[in-house]
Parts: sequence; structure tokens; C-alpha cells
Amino acid sequence: MSPQNGPVLRLAGVHKHYQLGAHRIDALRGVDLDVQAGELLALTGPSGSGKSTLLNLCGLIDTPDAGDIELNGQPVNALDETARTLLRRDALGFVFQNFNLIPVMTVAENVDYPLFLADVPPAERRARVAAQLAAVGLAEHAHHRPDALSGGQRQRVAIARALIKRPSLVIADEPTASLDSHTAEQVLALMRERGRAEGAAFVIATHDNRLTARCDRVVNLLDGRIQCAPC
Amino acid sequence: MRALLTWLKFAWHNTLRNRRRSLVTVSIVALGAAGMLLAGGFALYTYESLAEASARDSGHLVLGTPAQFDRDEDVPLQHGLSGVQQLRATLLADPAVRHVLPRVAFTGLISNGDKSTVMLAAGVDPDGEFTVKGPFLTVTAGKTLAADAAQPQVMLGADLARNLKARPGDSLTLLASTTEGAMNAVDVVVAGLFTTGVPEVDKRMVYTSIATAQQLLVTDKVSTLGVFLDRMEATEPARQRLAAQLPQLAVQTWEEQAAFYRAVRNLYNRIFGALGLIIAVIVVSVVANAMAMAIIERTREIGALRALGTLPSQLLCTLGLEGALLGGAGALLGAALALAISALLHVFPMDMPPPPGRSVGYPLLVTVDASMYAVVMSLMLLLTLTASLLVARKTVRLPVVDALAHT
Repeated sequence: MSPQNGPVLRLAGVHKHYQLGAHRIDALRGVDLDVQAGELLALTGPSGSGKSTLLNLCGLIDTPDAGDIELNGQPVNALDETARTLLRRDALGFVFQNFNLIPVMTVAENVDYPLFLADVPPAERRARVAAQLAAVGLAEHAHHRPDALSGGQRQRVAIARALIKRPSLVIADEPTASLDSHTAEQVLALMRERGRAEGAAFVIATHDNRLTARCDRVVNLLDGRIQCAPC
Repeated sequence: MRALLTWLKFAWHNTLRNRRRSLVTVSIVALGAAGMLLAGGFALYTYESLAEASARDSGHLVLGTPAQFDRDEDVPLQHGLSGVQQLRATLLADPAVRHVLPRVAFTGLISNGDKSTVMLAAGVDPDGEFTVKGPFLTVTAGKTLAADAAQPQVMLGADLARNLKARPGDSLTLLASTTEGAMNAVDVVVAGLFTTGVPEVDKRMVYTSIATAQQLLVTDKVSTLGVFLDRMEATEPARQRLAAQLPQLAVQTWEEQAAFYRAVRNLYNRIFGALGLIIAVIVVSVVANAMAMAIIERTREIGALRALGTLPSQLLCTLGLEGALLGGAGALLGAALALAISALLHVFPMDMPPPPGRSVGYPLLVTVDASMYAVVMSLMLLLTLTASLLVARKTVRLPVVDALAHT
């Protein structure tokens, strides 16, 4: 899905504010950011720095007040909700802190879901799901429900689900926050390995120093502004 | 189609998440569907019974002069029909016509010598009349009129007989105005007693033969001709054919003659219509409430599905299917329950108490009508689908960020 040249994601002069009663909160104040294809980018900063807001904008699940966002060279500001949804379906993957797997679906069905949405033929879906589950070491759990898995296994399912459609960008929100130290290491290694294998860039919001140490670039946010990039 | 099956499977699994809640929802829908089907089936049975009774009483079609139906008479049979034999032959040539029975309706006095009272009398064809009436006229004593009786005969309503202290075999006298306005009398023998189940009718009603009635009124005319067809559904086509064939006569259907049937139908339609509306509101409320709880609990999951690229329309589809599955299961269960109760009422008969103005009850039976079952089950499906879509609409359109942040 990524273009031949240029960044996968480009943000230029992005502003976003929220209104909490009478108070105006400027979550982002003129953010410029490029994410290159295959790059593993960590987004750090204290609570309230604007990480989640920036992540939501990168994931096309929120819209900026001002500034431009391009995904794979395509401006997304003017897209309507349906077009944004279809762009998310085709070009983006998500890994959530709380996994957000669908509890009534099996592991295989959860991983298959993005392919089902993209109308990929069933035979190809079966093959790709089997390969992806094998790659994340969960082939034997294909027919289990998520509630039968450990936290680390669930996050591996989420990573498999995010990468199954070969997206150009994966948005990960605190992917190791719910995991113990050992499992977090494994998940990080897996994200790096599978991201490279599938050619996907990662934007990862995190407080976890172990994770930032393994990323290609770290972007620190403070009061809605980028402090240093690259570090 | 494959995608729909996948959404259906997803919806099915979601209905099983909270089994107790789904079971309650399905049970309410089932009770609602069964209630509608039983009430509707009872109303249908009542309509069918009353329609048959009315048609057997008056004939599916009633022929007379136009004045017979819309003007009052100054003297008996002023607007009566003549040339009855030729008319009967013409009518019997119609393929749908089974019987043509003449009737002479008149009023007068009936006396046992000591006591006289007002009567409403009908001169009828003894051979045909009591055959077509079948179970809708109950002979409580004696026999029906005989066509070849040596003496003029009458059948009396049971309450009239009690009033006159008359029993089968007793002699009475009928008095009435002739078509010329003079008084005439005929001595008759009581052949039998009957009840119609309507005390007001049983107090006054007298059946006698056409010949006796015409002898009393000194005429060869009849009031009307009752035309009995091979089946109820033939009524309207036959009415159109006969009206075209006999333009000088007025042709009314049994329904135009049956004021009681129309009144009951109007009343029941309103009662059962209101009942159906209440059940529909209850079903919609229960399903909407159950779906609202299910959807609110899954708001974050819905946000995740939206983030992954699921369109609101696709989510509406699966949530609508979820409601429809509950509704469908409830409708099937309700239909099975209604069928079972309908069958049980045939096996173990129960009687309804006599309705106002009647002296006998009637069997509590429920008609099983395929089209009614189809309509009620479709309605349940539609109601539950609509209720689900109504409550799901707001959540699936929630901004993804808000849905994901829902706690």
C-alpha cells in the first residue's frame, strides 16, 4: 500500500483542541511528522502530552482542527467518514492496549476479520490466516476463543490481526502496558520482526523504555508539541 | 451471500453472550406471538362460525324485489316475489347454486285458545330449510316440519312454547292480516320445538310451511328466495352473475343481511387490534431494551470494529440480524406454542360462556390459519429487527474515538 517514494504518513502543522466545559485544551499545537515505510517509531511523552490524540489522528479515527495529513501520499482531511473507514480497512492496522479482540470469535476468526472486510477470497484468507498464526506462534490456538489465552498470546493475536492485510502503517497504543516484562519483550520482538517481514511502519505510543530502545526513532511530545525528532 | 452468513454467525454468537437475557427476550417475543396467534385464531373461528350460521340462516344470497330490502310494507307481501318456480329453475341452472329456498316472512298472533301472543313467523320449505340449517338450529322436542303432513304444522321457539304451554302434538291457531288487509286464521299442529340460542328470538319465532303461510296470507307470493351455494367463497362471483342475469331483482349477500355478524366482527376487530398493538409495543420495548443493554456493553468493541474498517452499515446489519434472530426464535416458539394450545382445545374441548343476549355458550376453538401465522411471524421478525436497528443506529455512528474510550 505504500507509495514508491515519500513517507507513508505525513502530518504538517496539525492542531487539535478539545473543549471541556468552559476550558479549552490544546492537545496538539502545530505537529509536523513524517513516518517512513517500514519504520518503527515510538511516540513518548507524559500523560496529557497529546500522544493519544496524535495516535488517533495517525489512525484516521479522529480529524484535526487545522493542518494536513497524508497517508500514502493521499490527503485524508477532506475524506468523508465512509472513505476514511475504507482507507483504515485497506491501509492501517491497529494494536490496542487492551487487545480489543472480539470475544465471540475464535483466534483464527479474529485474525481473519480484516481479510473478510476486504473481501479477500476464502481460500486465500484461510492460507494467510494459517501462515500469520504460525508466524506469531499461535497455530495450535487457532480455534480457541481469546478468553482462553494469556495476555501475551492475546496481544500476539492482535499483532497478527493488524498485519494480516499487509498494511502500510500499524497504530499501536501502549501495546505492552498490560503485559509482564518477559511477555512485553516477546511482543516487542514480534512486532519488530513481523513489521519488517510485512513491510509495515509502526507508530507506537508508549511509556515503556524497553520498547523505545528497540525503535528506529523516538518522538517525544510535550504540551502538544514535538520536543525532539529524531532522538 | 457468504458475507451475510458470516454476519449471521457473528450475530448468533453475540446472542449467546448473555444467555439469560436472550432467553427472556425470546420468551417475551414467543408469548407475544402466541398471544396474537391465539387471539387472532379465536377471532377467525368466531367470524367463520358466525358467517356460516348467517349464510345457513338467510342463504349465501338473498333475492327479492328492490322494494323488499329498502321499503316498509303496508300489507303483508306488498313487495313479494311472484313466479317463484320459474325463478328457482333459473337460479338452479347456475353451477354454484345448490339450493333455492323460498321464504315468507310475516307477523301475527298465535293462540292456544286461552292465550294469544305476538309471533314472528317464517314460512319455509320443510324439505330444504332444515337440511341447510344443519347444526345451527337445535330441535329441543318433537320433529322438524314434514312436507307431506296431513295437517298444517308449526315449529315453535322453546320460550314461546313455554309461554303458550304448548308441546309437540298440541293444536294452536295462527292469526294474521291477509295481503288484502283482512284477518285470517289457520289451525295448526305443533310438530316440534327449537332453540336458536337467542332468548329474544326463541320467545317469538314460529316456523311453518310455505303452503300454510300462503294459505294464511291468501297469496302465492313469497318474501324472498334464499340461494345456497356450494361454498362461501363463491358468494361474490355468484352475486355478480345473478345480478346481471336478473336485473329486475335485488341480490344481497348473507353479510348484508347479517347485522349481528358485522357488529361482532367490528367489535372483535377493535378489541383484538388493540390487543395486538399492546403486544407489539411490549415486544418492541423488550427487544429494544435487551439490545440497548447488549450494545452499550459492547460499545468499545464496536469502536474497535469501526477502527478496523467496519462500516456503520455492516455493524447495523449484524446488530439487526441479532435482533431478528431473537425475534425469529421467539416467533417460531410462539407459533409452536399457539399450535399446541389450538390442538389441545380440539382434544380437550372447552366452552365459552353465553355472550350477552344469548342463552347458550359456544366452543372455545382457535382457527389455525397459515396466512395469519405467516403475517404474525413476519411481524415479530420485523418488529425485533426494527427495534434493534433503532437502538443500534446511534452507537454505530458514535465517533470511533468516543466508542473506544467508552467504559
